[in-house]
Amino acid sequence: MNEQARRPRWSPKWALIALMGATVGCYGGHSERGDGNGGGEESGDGASTGDTGETDGDPLVFDPAAAVLPRLTSTQYRNSVTQLLGPGLPAVMLEPDTNPYLFFNVGASTTTLSELGTQQYEEAADALSHLVFDDAERRLALVGCEPSAPGDQCVQGFLADFGRQAYRRPLTADEMARWQAITVELADPDAWEGVRLAVAGMLQSPYFIYRVELGEPDPDDPELLRYTAFEMASRLSFLMWNTSPDDMLLDAAADGVLDTADGLREHAERMLADPRASVAIQEFFAQYFDLSRLDGVTRDVDAYPMFAPSLPQSMRNEVKLLVDDFVFRRDADIRGIYGTHSTFVNEELAMLYGVDAPGASPIAFVPVELPEDGPRNGLLTLGAFLTMNAHETETSPTLRGKYVRERVLCQEVQPPPDDADTELDTDASEAVTLRERLEQHRDDPACSGCHGFIDPPGFLFENFDSLGSHRTEYPGGHDIDASGSLDGVALANATELGPLLADDARVGKCVVTQLYRHAQGRLETEDEADILTDLDDRFESEGYRFKSLLMQLVTHEGFRTLARPQEGA
Amino acid sequence: MSRKFLSRRTMLRGAAGGAMVSLALPPLEAMLGTHGAWADGTDDQPIFGVFFWANGLPWHAAHGADQAAAGHPDLWTPAQTGPGYTPTELLLPLAAHEVSLVTGLQPHTDIPSVPGGQGDGHMRGFMVALTSDRPRSEGFDHPSHTLTARRPSLDQYIAKHDEFYGNDVPRFRSLVMGVSEARFHDYGHWNAISYNGPDSLNQPVQDPAQLYNLLFDVPADTASLERRVSLLDTVMEDANDLRARLGAADRIRLDEHLAHMDEIQRRLELSVTACDDPGAPGSSEDLIVKTELMADLLARGLLCGLSRVFSFMLTSPATTHVFSNLGVPDGMHKTCHDGVWQRVRDITEYQMQAFARLLDIMQETVDPTGVSLLDRMLVMGTSEYGEGWIHGAAEHPMVFAGRACGAINPGVHERIDGGNISTAHVTMLRALGIDTPSYGFNGGETSEHLSGILA
Repeated sequence: MNEQARRPRWSPKWALIALMGATVGCYGGHSERGDGNGGGEESGDGASTGDTGETDGDPLVFDPAAAVLPRLTSTQYRNSVTQLLGPGLPAVMLEPDTNPYLFFNVGASTTTLSELGTQQYEEAADALSHLVFDDAERRLALVGCEPSAPGDQCVQGFLADFGRQAYRRPLTADEMARWQAITVELADPDAWEGVRLAVAGMLQSPYFIYRVELGEPDPDDPELLRYTAFEMASRLSFLMWNTSPDDMLLDAAADGVLDTADGLREHAERMLADPRASVAIQEFFAQYFDLSRLDGVTRDVDAYPMFAPSLPQSMRNEVKLLVDDFVFRRDADIRGIYGTHSTFVNEELAMLYGVDAPGASPIAFVPVELPEDGPRNGLLTLGAFLTMNAHETETSPTLRGKYVRERVLCQEVQPPPDDADTELDTDASEAVTLRERLEQHRDDPACSGCHGFIDPPGFLFENFDSLGSHRTEYPGGHDIDASGSLDGVALANATELGPLLADDARVGKCVVTQLYRHAQGRLETEDEADILTDLDDRFESEGYRFKSLLMQLVTHEGFRTLARPQEGA
Repeated sequence: MSRKFLSRRTMLRGAAGGAMVSLALPPLEAMLGTHGAWADGTDDQPIFGVFFWANGLPWHAAHGADQAAAGHPDLWTPAQTGPGYTPTELLLPLAAHEVSLVTGLQPHTDIPSVPGGQGDGHMRGFMVALTSDRPRSEGFDHPSHTLTARRPSLDQYIAKHDEFYGNDVPRFRSLVMGVSEARFHDYGHWNAISYNGPDSLNQPVQDPAQLYNLLFDVPADTASLERRVSLLDTVMEDANDLRARLGAADRIRLDEHLAHMDEIQRRLELSVTACDDPGAPGSSEDLIVKTELMADLLARGLLCGLSRVFSFMLTSPATTHVFSNLGVPDGMHKTCHDGVWQRVRDITEYQMQAFARLLDIMQETVDPTGVSLLDRMLVMGTSEYGEGWIHGAAEHPMVFAGRACGAINPGVHERIDGGNISTAHVTMLRALGIDTPSYGFNGGETSEHLSGILA
């Protein structure tokens, strides 16, 4: 805390944006303040509502939130077990992750493990420990010595090492004694079986299954809590590598290196250079962009001849390559992903986009520049977004617009009113296109608030069908009108939206918010608004480069401190 | 919760003066109970199941004014009430099993106005049908609709009720299965209909091979099982250290995890109970074939006493399942919203055929004394609301299949216009011998049962 001690930071910029903030037809702010989100299409009086603008002239105050207790996600469990027992382990069945608010980490800290999930942990621990200990070479490699008697020095040394890795901190004396007792009492038929059971037991311990990060009094101000050095090792490791900390991190924690921002930065930089960071960051973006929704996508090949079962996965891979390009290869302004003609295609995507892609094959992706005067510009004009936000037989300007509002701009769209009549009159003789049908929403005051907010950006993508193919007319032969708007700015089609988003401060702020939720495993609290404001400020001043945001986050007071737990439920 | 966790083994070990005692009950003793509802004095124990299908029924005039204007016939509600009703088109698949049903029910729970959206048919209807309570308000302020229950679903309420299992708790208190993997949100709460409480869901086993392993893959090495049981004591000691340091909400989560460990420990002790191995199942993407595969395994497990409670989700709430086998090009949720009545009718009929296959298999599975599983069983067949076109809450479908050891009258149609869904739950709980002065919450409370259906 020393070098970054709760210094006030002034942020007049946010106050300005807050003044531009909006009246609300549909948008419902969640828990942030100083929020510069645009409002409904109908607004335009610039009136500020609610409690926006509180940061105007006030120093930022970093109030942390209380700890959460995330259970390892199934990927984190598998990665951690591989780290502990070595590679080549069989797949084990685990409770499926859930992703409330988009992120597995949030599901991990809010849901309760089921009985079946508990049984699966027990069975996995038994099976994995057997796999290693039934193999004489493998167990010797793991333990590092041959026990000559149950619970001997060889066993004790192993328990201390293994326990430190499994619990992500040194075992207490009580814990050592507990597992030591297992290695003796259950050493039947031999000492190895006792060691195996201690391993199986630790793999079921809540100290392994959960990320226990409860903090300690901050030496600078014992009224406040900070995460312990070992807890910081975990927080860094799960964020950067999606797994338990390695020995280097645990050693750094033991040596006090992770008590300082410099030490955290040094290790974060080391970790970012490792391929595991790329996998973990891709996982974040896949959840943020909600790409798993592509998994179940099917299309009728008679209506969509371009469809093949491999295509949705190709679309996911394309996004992955774009993220890799922006984050790692070019280290560029991440918002640019929404306004770029560069992308990566394999054979089927090249056909879908109608571009030449020498070298592309069913499995080989090559970089291509899409034509400047073509219909595509940025992530929202590519297959993944267009397909997962469409129905099987027709597009959905509502789903696409909702994605722009919720995922890209982090605005919230209220659910339809309870008494909403969701039926659009399909027989109305004048309403021949989807646009005309949806425009009926405008005439119904119960619908117009939200649909006036969602649909105008959603219409911009109408010249792409449910599979992302470009089209100029509807199947019935009617011309497509892909014009629309975003917050009152009229746009001809999606190619005009991309550059706007690539330069929109709200897009950067949205990335900060989503990364914060993923990293903390929970929604931000109202008290944390200044932490987010500060991170966004830093993100902007460093050119919206994602890796720099990660570095700012892991060294930030908001990531290193916590509040006391809430009592009484 | 301030319960200090001691495993049963620990307590009994203490009681036995420190000597290790084996708790595994002989299989026969574990299976024979002391209940008994049959008039002839046989002592079979009732089985409770939930069968859930998505998106209600094809809409008709009784669903509301808009639905009436659409002019489609009611293919569900029998013309007559009382015993011996003539099955309608959509009840025809179930006719061989003389199911009883109640029509006219709807949720009576309150709808808090803030945050908005809590009256939504999918969420309110299915929560009330499964928990007799409204959905939890938390989460409605977010587009992901982080939908959660306020209390256990009926299957879990029963599985944990002392008056249901008493001291004869089988290896599994309940089995939770699902067939279609299509989901409306990629989020567990939309893909699970069995809850223990808020944010505590039992996600369904959806792979026949996994169900087979769960039920029938029992280790032969019982000595190693005993060591696994002992090991759990030590894991629980570790957990007890942790729980004292947690905030209230996380302590509750950990306490549930601990209670599960206790249950797993008990289950390991009962693992010596061997059932005949029915053989590894095949696999299929066809919903009816997959229903048969899972129902076969379930029936074999129920017959040998592995459990007496199950939840069977054919399709998840607001399912996006594409019934391409019926020539339906879009997901079911969209098909409902698009108002394509004929297709919704076809899908519903197909879902009833799947329900019938499950009941066929339960009927065909007979114990040595000639009693079929279906005779012992009470299956609540229900969906998430009345109809999916406008999310109409009226006319919530509620089927009673099986005889519950004689506690349910077969082939009865009761009708209560605007009646409370919870009356069906009261009926079921009383049929299973669970003393229930009233059931239902937050406006859903009732002490009434269905007098024509409860024997």
